[in-house]
Amino acid sequence: MLEGLVSPENLSLSSMDMNVLERLKWLQQQQQQQVVSQSSDNSPELLQILQFHESNNDELLQSTFSHFQMLGSCFGPSPNMGFGPSHEAMDGCISRTSSFQMVPVDTMGVMLKNSEENRTISSKNKRKSEVKRREEEKTEKKIKVEAETESNMKGKSSMSNNTEASSDTSKETSKGASEIQKLDYIHVRSRRGQATDRHSLAERARREKISKKMKYLQDIVPGCKKVTGQAGMLDEIINYVQSLQTQVEFLSMKLAVLDSELELAVEDLYLQAYFTNLPVVNASKPSIMVDVPLFPLDQQGSLDLSVINLSQTTSTEAPSASWETQSRSLFNTSSLGFHY
Amino acid sequence: MASADKPINTDVPEKDVFTLHFLQSLSNLRRQNTFNSPEKTNDRVKKIKKAAYVSMARAAGGTNRLWSRALLRRAAKENSKVVRFPRRKKRVTCLRRRRSNRRDPVEEEEAERLRNLVPGGGGMETSKLMEETAHYIKCLSMQVKVMQCLVDGLAPK
Repeated sequence: MLEGLVSPENLSLSSMDMNVLERLKWLQQQQQQQVVSQSSDNSPELLQILQFHESNNDELLQSTFSHFQMLGSCFGPSPNMGFGPSHEAMDGCISRTSSFQMVPVDTMGVMLKNSEENRTISSKNKRKSEVKRREEEKTEKKIKVEAETESNMKGKSSMSNNTEASSDTSKETSKGASEIQKLDYIHVRSRRGQATDRHSLAERARREKISKKMKYLQDIVPGCKKVTGQAGMLDEIINYVQSLQTQVEFLSMKLAVLDSELELAVEDLYLQAYFTNLPVVNASKPSIMVDVPLFPLDQQGSLDLSVINLSQTTSTEAPSASWETQSRSLFNTSSLGFHY
Repeated sequence: MASADKPINTDVPEKDVFTLHFLQSLSNLRRQNTFNSPEKTNDRVKKIKKAAYVSMARAAGGTNRLWSRALLRRAAKENSKVVRFPRRKKRVTCLRRRRSNRRDPVEEEEAERLRNLVPGGGGMETSKLMEETAHYIKCLSMQVKVMQCLVDGLAPK
């Protein structure tokens, strides 16, 4: 069963970290046969360890990596090949560990068959969007692996390199299984070397939310697309809001000036202006449109405001009604509780 | 943490709603006796501006949005009027507990500036602030368009 899940060809690695595994992949391609033979030696130990740590995923990460280091030392460093045999064994071990890990959770097996990374799973009580991203990244990573295996020949115990810098600044690619039927929470795969504790995951989720909303804002604010980076975008947004507010102030000044020049009862003038300037193509409010030509300009004091009703009742003509009473009735019918 | 799948909803009503509210408030202003005196232009400017904001807040969704709620409350305080808002399901103040969580030095300075600009921004978490900003921007631009049309309509020909 385990052999069936082990498919070394499908192991593709992330570009950023996982130095050990990238090396493994490289070595796999060179010496595939030795993997199987050597890995069979280690299976019983691994099974024991994994059984022991099955319940606690966080510790599992530590234990498997420490185990790999142990194995590496077992096989003895061969200076020329560098990390040859140890990595083969480790590769076999890793593939076994990941596959074994999946057993208790059924749907995880599906993931592993396409598996590209050998990361630990940290389960969290929250939901993330995962499947799509995972598939996109699969193809990306398969391309990247070959390019970057050579550039990453470094020491093997690299659990914590690039942790803080990359985790904080780059976008996270946290993956998780899609909704597992029985469990309430989504398993999130953390990047190698990134902390899997609650706080940092929560931070990550929060930051993703914020960046999603920033993207939405970017669409709204004109001229925001050229600037990249959150700081620049926020600057643009702040400038835009400030400019809008000054525009409002400026226009209100203009209106105040214009108002002083006009005599009383300019309401109908306003309404005329409204209807001529704004392209109201709103078919849902026919009552307003119909009655506009019926408002004679010389009738300054009387205005049939019963037309302009947000609830769209049919308009009734009452030209003799005074402005004040009708406007008051309007205010009364409005559902807003605050009158300015 | 809530799921991130909910779409961001910033629907803004049509222009007519804004116009209607603004005209109503303007006519209300005009009914005041002291309004048309030529000397106190500054006061009139301020009143018109306040009327613009308040009518925008009302048009944009009344008490459904945090920023409009804060705007209305602020305006009411200036006029010493009592404002009653319908009870919301969640209390806004429970968000304050999370203040300690939203520290991120790069973003927080900008977010602080944004909070000063958007009404009611002080009590919001950063992600909520973004939503409110988006809606606020949309409503502000709508209000600007309305006022521009009015000014054009009233300009001496």
